Amino acid sequence: MTRRFQVIGALIVLTGLLAAAPAGAQDAQAFVAQLGNQAIQVLGPSVSPAQRVARFRQLFRDDFDVPGLGQFVLGRYWRTATPEEQQEFLRLFQEYIVQAYAARLGEYGGEPFRVTGSRPSGDETVVSSLIERANAGRVQVDWYLINRGGAPKITDVYVGGVSMKVTQRDEFSSVIQRNGGRVDALLAQLRQRLAAAR
Amino acid sequence: MSLRRSPLFVSGLMALGLALSGCAAPGPTAAGGEAFNDPLEDTNRAIFDVNQVIDRNVLLPAAKTYRTVLIPPMRQAFHDFMQNLNAPVVFANDVLQGQFGLAANTLGRVLINTSMGMGGMFDFATQFGIPYHPNDLGITLATWGIDEGPYLVLPVLGPSNPRDLVGQIGDGFADPGDQVASAYHRIWASMARALVSGIDERSRNIESLADIERTSLDYYATIRSLYRQRRAAQIRHEEENLPNPAPVQSSLGTSPAMSYSVATAPRLHQVSTK
Repeated sequence: MTRRFQVIGALIVLTGLLAAAPAGAQDAQAFVAQLGNQAIQVLGPSVSPAQRVARFRQLFRDDFDVPGLGQFVLGRYWRTATPEEQQEFLRLFQEYIVQAYAARLGEYGGEPFRVTGSRPSGDETVVSSLIERANAGRVQVDWYLINRGGAPKITDVYVGGVSMKVTQRDEFSSVIQRNGGRVDALLAQLRQRLAAAR
Repeated sequence: MSLRRSPLFVSGLMALGLALSGCAAPGPTAAGGEAFNDPLEDTNRAIFDVNQVIDRNVLLPAAKTYRTVLIPPMRQAFHDFMQNLNAPVVFANDVLQGQFGLAANTLGRVLINTSMGMGGMFDFATQFGIPYHPNDLGITLATWGIDEGPYLVLPVLGPSNPRDLVGQIGDGFADPGDQVASAYHRIWASMARALVSGIDERSRNIESLADIERTSLDYYATIRSLYRQRRAAQIRHEEENLPNPAPVQSSLGTSPAMSYSVATAPRLHQVSTK
């Protein structure tokens, strides 16, 4: 008897999961659409650079998978770094990304985008969107989302087929390689860059 | 660009390209482990620096002047005209890759823009839902399974690799516009065309490149990564095979709540600006 109840229980849980799957995709799309609205407020042409950085910092901390990203962009050097270096890198990297991308995304001027669909990719959900730029044509932006404790977090953004986290990893790896594989050389450059930005 | 019509220059480059692809086929894994496949990095960085100097002193000022002197509709007309002139090369590569849907698009675009668009000065095809897509022999060679080879920075022309270099030369030879110009001994026309497209292209990237350069720790490495990834995306033909941009809400299962939030975005923006 108990065995049969277990089977039924498992079936109920399974149906629940199956029903939840498409809802997850919907949630992911709604999340990106919502993010689009936030981005317009963050990146609009009337927003001052200081405000833009502050708002983008908030958005980055809330909506991005910061520890996962940090580990990825340090590449194979994550494992060779000491725990102290890892902690300092996570702190510096966050602020560097905020400063760099608040500036780089400024050119988009907060143009509205349309969510066009989503697809699963491993344990992540990819939400596709299109940004129509006034004179530069349209560009496809893909958002990679992962579920972290019930909340979707962004793990990567592809702009026109170019992965932001791969680009960042390639740059950081190059800096470390050209300094004889020393992670602390990258940390020093990041510190210097952030000090100059202040 | 016009230099590619000189046979000596071309064969020299080809020899260089073949030599490079031959000697550096298996990208040596650098000491750091990340394989950048850039065995000529020191030379490439030196050429990159020279290109930067040329850019700062010649190309960028020209692009800025171009932007100041010409009003946006005129720049757009030049841009559309250049794009239309390049259509035969795009069409040929669409066909060589077996992308017949894209080839039909390119053909339709030429017919519409050359007639209605007054010789290509207006891009009506995009408004009719047939957007432009780039294509070139480098992409064709890639779809035929030819490896990109090591990263190269060319003087003036910038990021490349042996495969894309051979492609650029091949496209140059195949271009009907350039052939007509050379048959009538109007090389200056090809030169002017290359010059204007270069300045037009640069004028469209002034801010984005400046932002990337300013915020990069290693600008060279960033550009190398961007170039490689962008080319890979073009080879996959992802963007061209997107669903039709016009009807979005109905066909793609967008939820009503979401279309609402997207639709209200411009208004929200207006509110936030006040």
